Amino acid sequence: MKKFLAIFLAVLMIVGMTACGSSQPEAESPSETPQQEETAPEGDIVIGVLQDITGVTSTLGKMVQEGAQWAADEINAAGGINGRKVKLVTYDTKADVQEAINAYNRMTTTDKVSAIIGPPVANITIAIAPISEQYNVPVLHFAIDDRATIKDDGTPYKNMFLFQPSAKQQGAIMGKFAVEEQGLKKFGIIYNQSNAYSVSLLEPFKNTVESLGAKVVAEVPYQPNDKDFKTMLNKLVSAGAEAIYAPNYTQELILIVQQARAIGFDGRLICGLDACPPFPTLCGPEADGVIYINNITETEPQIQGIIEAYKQKTGNDATNKFFLGYDVMKILAKIIEEVGDDPVAIRDAIENLSGFQGLTGNITIDPNTHQTKGLEMVMHEIQNQAPVMLKRYSAEQ
Amino acid sequence: MSIQIIINGLAVGSVYALIATGFSLIFNILKFSNFSHGALMTLSAFIGYFFAVKTGSSLIPVIIVSMLAGGLVAYIGEFVAFRKITLRSTSPVYYFVSSITLGTLYEGIVTIWVGPNFYNYPRFFQSMVVNIGGFVISKPDLIMFISSCLALALLVIFIQKTRLGRALRSVSFDRDTAGLMGINVFGIIQLAFFISGALAGLSGVFLGINYTLYPQLGNLVVKGFIASVIGGLGSIFGAVVGAILLGLTETLLINFVGSGYAPVFSFLIMLAFLLIRPQGIAGSNVQEKA
Amino acid sequence: MQFYISILTFTLISVIAVTGIYVLTGLTGMFSLGQAAFMAIGAYVSGFLVVKAGVPFVLAAIIAVVISVIVGYIVGLPTVRLRRDYISLVTLGFGEAITALLNQTQSITGGALGFSGIPKITTLPLALISAIVCIVLVSYLKNSKYGRQCIAARSDELAAKAMGINVPRIKMTAFLIAVAVTSYAGVLYAFFTTYVDPGIFGWKKSAEWVIMVFFGGVSSLTGSIFGTIILTALPEVLRFAADYRTVFYAVLVLLIINFKPTGLFGEYELSVGNLLRRLSGKKEERSNA
Repeated sequence: MKKFLAIFLAVLMIVGMTACGSSQPEAESPSETPQQEETAPEGDIVIGVLQDITGVTSTLGKMVQEGAQWAADEINAAGGINGRKVKLVTYDTKADVQEAINAYNRMTTTDKVSAIIGPPVANITIAIAPISEQYNVPVLHFAIDDRATIKDDGTPYKNMFLFQPSAKQQGAIMGKFAVEEQGLKKFGIIYNQSNAYSVSLLEPFKNTVESLGAKVVAEVPYQPNDKDFKTMLNKLVSAGAEAIYAPNYTQELILIVQQARAIGFDGRLICGLDACPPFPTLCGPEADGVIYINNITETEPQIQGIIEAYKQKTGNDATNKFFLGYDVMKILAKIIEEVGDDPVAIRDAIENLSGFQGLTGNITIDPNTHQTKGLEMVMHEIQNQAPVMLKRYSAEQ
Repeated sequence: MSIQIIINGLAVGSVYALIATGFSLIFNILKFSNFSHGALMTLSAFIGYFFAVKTGSSLIPVIIVSMLAGGLVAYIGEFVAFRKITLRSTSPVYYFVSSITLGTLYEGIVTIWVGPNFYNYPRFFQSMVVNIGGFVISKPDLIMFISSCLALALLVIFIQKTRLGRALRSVSFDRDTAGLMGINVFGIIQLAFFISGALAGLSGVFLGINYTLYPQLGNLVVKGFIASVIGGLGSIFGAVVGAILLGLTETLLINFVGSGYAPVFSFLIMLAFLLIRPQGIAGSNVQEKA
Repeated sequence: MQFYISILTFTLISVIAVTGIYVLTGLTGMFSLGQAAFMAIGAYVSGFLVVKAGVPFVLAAIIAVVISVIVGYIVGLPTVRLRRDYISLVTLGFGEAITALLNQTQSITGGALGFSGIPKITTLPLALISAIVCIVLVSYLKNSKYGRQCIAARSDELAAKAMGINVPRIKMTAFLIAVAVTSYAGVLYAFFTTYVDPGIFGWKKSAEWVIMVFFGGVSSLTGSIFGTIILTALPEVLRFAADYRTVFYAVLVLLIINFKPTGLFGEYELSVGNLLRRLSGKKEERSNA
C-alpha cells in the first residue's frame, strides 16, 4: 500500500510541477520537440542544431535554437527551399563536452544532416573542431575563441565557421570605442576566471587600450560561486580606475553593476554581449551609463517586429543569440537554394559567402580564417533602462 | 576600509549560515548529508518569484510563500525519497544517492519550468543601500542578516524550549528509543524536513534577491557544506559559526590574495580543521556509529 | 559507425572510473565527491607531459597516476579516520579547489579556455583492454583477504576493529586504489576528446558515478558495471526527450533506490559459474556475500 502511495506521490509531484510549468506563458513551443526518431520523409532538408538546452549555458543555447527554429518556420511557411521543407534536429549538449561529441557524431552519421548550427560556447566547439575534420559537414557556430575555427598552425578547420566577430575583434572594438569615442584613460577589469567567454575577451581589450595609450590599472578575477563583488570592485576603484571593463555573463553582470553603484562608483562600465536586453530591466536603474557591444540593435523595425511576435507567441524575450541563430538558418537556406543539400557543396559555398545582409549585419566569410570579415558590431549605452545605439563599429575601422 | 570588509563578510556569512542550518538539521536527525538542499532552494526561490510577479506583493508575503512551498516540497520529498530508506534503516549511503537524485530531479523540473529566460526579483526597496556611520551596507544584505538571525534564534528557541523541540532532539539522539518512549518518530522527521525546507525557501528568496535567479542558483549550497564541516556536522550552532567564519575568511582572502585561490584556501582550512579539531567547532560525533 | 565507437569508448572510460568507485563505495562504504577532480589531475598531468614536455604517452600516464595517488594520500590522511560523511564533503571541497587551481594557473593549463591540442591516442581497443584489466583486478581484489576485510569494515566498523582489522588503513588503501583507477580513466579521457576544460570535472560528475554504482548494485561488481552501461546509454536513447531527459533519469534512479535498494543485481555477481548454477535450478547463490 505504501509502495503505491509513494509511487503515486512521486508521479503526482512530477506531473504537478511540470503542469504548473506549462501554465506559465508557454515556455515550450510545440515545434521544438525534436522528432529524429521517425526518419525524415523524402525531400526534407535536415539541419542539426547542437545547443546547450539544459546545462549552465542553456539561456544562450536555447535562444540560438529558438531563433533557428523561427527562421525555419518562416522558410517553411513560404514554401520551403526549392519546395522542400526544412527540418531541425536539436540535440542537447548539457554543456558537457562528452555529451556534445556523442551528439555531434550522431548528427553527422545517423541523422545525416546537411549542416550543423553549433553552440555559442567555446569549450564544446573547441572539442568538436578536431573531430569535425573527419567528416564533411559544415558547423556554423558562434564560439568567439580562435581555437574553435583556427588550428594551431594558423590554417582554419575545414568545416568550422564562426558567424560573429571573434574575441579578438570584439575585444578590439570595445577597447577602441572606450578610448577613442569615450576618451577613457584608466581601466579596471573584473572577469570570471572560469568562464571562457570572459577570459577570451580579456587580452584583446587590454592590448587594444594599451596600444592606444590608455592604461589598465588593476584587474581582478573571480570564481563562479562568488556573489559578493564589493570587495573586488573596491580594489579597482582604489587603484584609480575611471572605467570598469566587465565582459561577463548576464547573471554576474547584474550583481557587478549593482554593487559597483552601491559602493559609489559612478564611472563607465564597459560590458560584453550579455548586457543586451533584458539586462537593463533586470538590473534596474543602476544599469544606466553601462556601455555594451551587441550584434543587433533592437530598434531596427525588422528586429523589433520579430521580438514582438516572438514575445507574443512564447512570452520570452528574444536576445541577440536568437538573431544569430536566425541569420545562420537564413544563410543556410540561401546557400541550399543555390547549391542543393550536399554538405560538401554547402561547405564550399559558406567558405565563399560574401555580403549576406542579415539582421546581425553584412556577413562575409574570410576563407583564410573561416571567421567573419569586417562584420560590424553595435555599441550601445543604457539610458533610462533602455538601450540607446551609439555607433556601428567593425574591428578593421 | 577593513571594517567594510568585515561587514561584507558578515553579510556573506549569514547566507551561508541559513544554508548550512537547513542542511545541519537533517543531518542531525537522519545522519546524512542532504544534497537536494541546494536544488530545493532554487525551486522555492522560483515559486516565490512567480508569486511576487503574479500578485505584485511585498517582500514579507513572498518570503512566507517561499518558505511554505519549500517546506511542503521537502515534506513530499521525504516521503518519496527517504521514507523507505529510514524504515529499512540500512546504510546511510542510500540517503546520499537518494538525495542527490532528488536534487537532480528538482533542478530538472526548474529548468523545464522556467525556460531560457533570465529572472530577477522585482524591487522591494527604493534605495539599495544605507549608510551607517560612513559604511555602505546594502539593504538586502542587512535584511538578510537580520532575518537570518531571527530565523536561527527562533529555531534555537524551538529546539531548546518546546516539547516538540525536545522530541526532535531525542529522535536525533536515538531514534529507536525515542520511538519506544511514545514519540511519533516519523512525525518528527517530517517536521524536521518541513523546517529545513522552509529555511531553504528563506535562503532561496534572499539568494534570489541578492544574486538574481537561475536554475543553478543552488550550487551555492557547496559553501553551506564546507561551513558545516568546519562547524561540526549536525551541529546547528557549529554550522552558524562555521558559516560566518567561512564568509569572513573568503572576503578577507578576496581582498588580500584575490578570489582565484579562495576555494583552495577554503579547502585547506577545512583540511586543517579536520587534522587539528576533527569534531569541528561545536564538537559533534565524528566516529562512525556502531 | 564512428558514433557507436565514440559512445562505446566513453562508456568504457566510465566503466573504468566506476570500477574505482566500486572499490571505494562498494567495498568500504565510503563515497567521494572529488573523484572527478582526480580524473582531472590524470587528464591534465598526462596531457601536459605529452604536449608540452614531449614525454611518451605510457610514461606520462604512469606519472599522472602516481601524482594523483600522492595527492590522494594527502587528502585521505585526515579524512579516513572520520565518519564517512566527512570523506564525501572533504572531497567535494577538494574538487572545488582543483577546479579553481586549474582556472588560476592559466599559463600552464589554459585556464577556463581549456587545454587543447592533445593527440588522439585512446582507441576503442585500448579502452576495452584497460576496462577488462581493471575489472579483473578489482574482482580479484574483492575476493581476496583484503576485500573481505573491506566488506567487514563496511558492514560494521566497530566489529571489524575488534577483529583486529586496521580500519583506517583499509580505507586509505581503498581510497588510493580508487584514485589511481579514476586518474587513469582521466588519462584515457583526455587522449580521446583531445580537449579538456576545468568545467567538466565538477562534483556532479562524481555523484553521477556513485549513482551508477548504486543503480546496478552496490555489492556487486558486475552489477555496478551493468548499471554504468545502462545509465551511460540511457541518455543517448532518451535524446528525443530533450528537456525531460534529466527528470526521467532521476525518477528512474529514485524508483530503483526505493524499491530495489540493493540495485538491479543485489549481491549477485554475473559469472559463468553463477549462471550455470542458476540454470540448474539452485537458488542459494544469493546467500553468499
